[in-house]
Amino acid sequence: MEQEIQQKLGEETKEGRYVYCIVDKSKSIKFGRIGIENNEVYTITHKGLCAVVHNCKSQAYISDNEEMVKDWIKTHQNVIDIVSEKFNTVVPLTFDIIVKGSNKDVVDWLRKDYERLKRTLKKVKDKQEFGIQIFWDEEKIGEKIAGVNQEIQNLKKGIKKVSQGEAYFYKNTIETILKKEMEEKADEYFKKFYNMIREHVNNTKIDKLKKEKDKQMLMNLSCLIHKNKVKKLGAELEKINRLDGFSVKFTGPWPPYSFVSPG
Amino acid sequence: MKPIRNKNVTFVDLLDRVLDKGLVINADIIVSVADIPLIGINLRAALAGMETMLEYGVMEEWDKTLRNIAIKERKKIEEKAVEVVV
Repeated sequence: MEQEIQQKLGEETKEGRYVYCIVDKSKSIKFGRIGIENNEVYTITHKGLCAVVHNCKSQAYISDNEEMVKDWIKTHQNVIDIVSEKFNTVVPLTFDIIVKGSNKDVVDWLRKDYERLKRTLKKVKDKQEFGIQIFWDEEKIGEKIAGVNQEIQNLKKGIKKVSQGEAYFYKNTIETILKKEMEEKADEYFKKFYNMIREHVNNTKIDKLKKEKDKQMLMNLSCLIHKNKVKKLGAELEKINRLDGFSVKFTGPWPPYSFVSPG
Repeated sequence: MKPIRNKNVTFVDLLDRVLDKGLVINADIIVSVADIPLIGINLRAALAGMETMLEYGVMEEWDKTLRNIAIKERKKIEEKAVEVVV
C-alpha cells in the first residue's frame, strides 16, 4: 500500500501541462486530439482567462530529429490558429513551455500572473501581427549609384590609363566608395520606408536583418495591426514593392508573438 | 499586396516567432532544461536553411576587416594617383 502511494506521488510530480496560449474568456472547451503528438487540447479557466493546454510529462520536448521538431513547431502554431478562430484575442506562448504539475498549478499561475496577463491581452486585443521584410537588389542599386557618383566615374575613366596593378587598386577604391554610399542609401531608405509603414500600424518591433541567398535584407519588421487596417498597409507596401530594385515579403496574420513579452 | 502564410514559404518566419518570441512564464514553475537550448543550434540552422541563419552581425564583423584593408589600399592609390597626375 505504502509503495503504491509512493509510486502515485512520484507519478503526480512528474505531471505537466504544455501551454499553447492564453485567451481572454473563461470557457471550458475541448478541442480534440489536435496537440503535439496527438494530445487532447483543452482549456483551464480562471476568472475571465483561460490557458489552452495538453497533458504531458514534466519534461521538455527535445529531439535531434529535424522532421519531428518541424512537426512539433507546426502543430504548436496550428493549435493557436484553431484557438484564434474561436476567440478574437490570443496571447501565444513560446514553443515548449510546460508548467510543472496539474491543472491546479496552472490555475495558481493564472492567479499569480493575473494582472500581467490581463494587461498583455488588452494590448493585443483585436490585433494581429504581420511580418514585413524589405529586400533590395544590391547590384541594381549599386549600378545606379555608381552611375551618378562623380568620384567613381573619375576612377573608372582613370582605370584605362594606368597599369594592371594600379587598375586593381582603382577597382578596390571604387568598391570602397560604393560600399559607403550604399550604407548611406540603406539608412535613408530604411527611414523612409519605416515612416511610410509606421502610419498604418499600432506598434512595430525592429528585428535583426538576415542574409538570404541572393537578396540583401534592408528591413525586418514585425507589426501589430488592428484587424481592419491590413488593407491600407498592403497598399502602402505595394508602393514599395513596385520601386525598381526593391521587393517586399509580407507575411501573416500571425498571433502577436512579438508583442507579448513583458514590458 | 496581400500578406501570405504558406507553410513552405513562411516556415522560417514562423520559426523566428515560435522559438524567439511569445509569452514566457516565470522560470520556477515551468520545466527547465538547465542551459541546454531546447533545440540545438545546429538543428535550428538546418531547419531554417543555413544561409538564412547567417545573421547580419556576423557578416558585419567580416566586412569591417575587409573595409579596413580597403581603406589602406585606397590611401596608397591616392598617393600614387597624385604621382601619376604630376
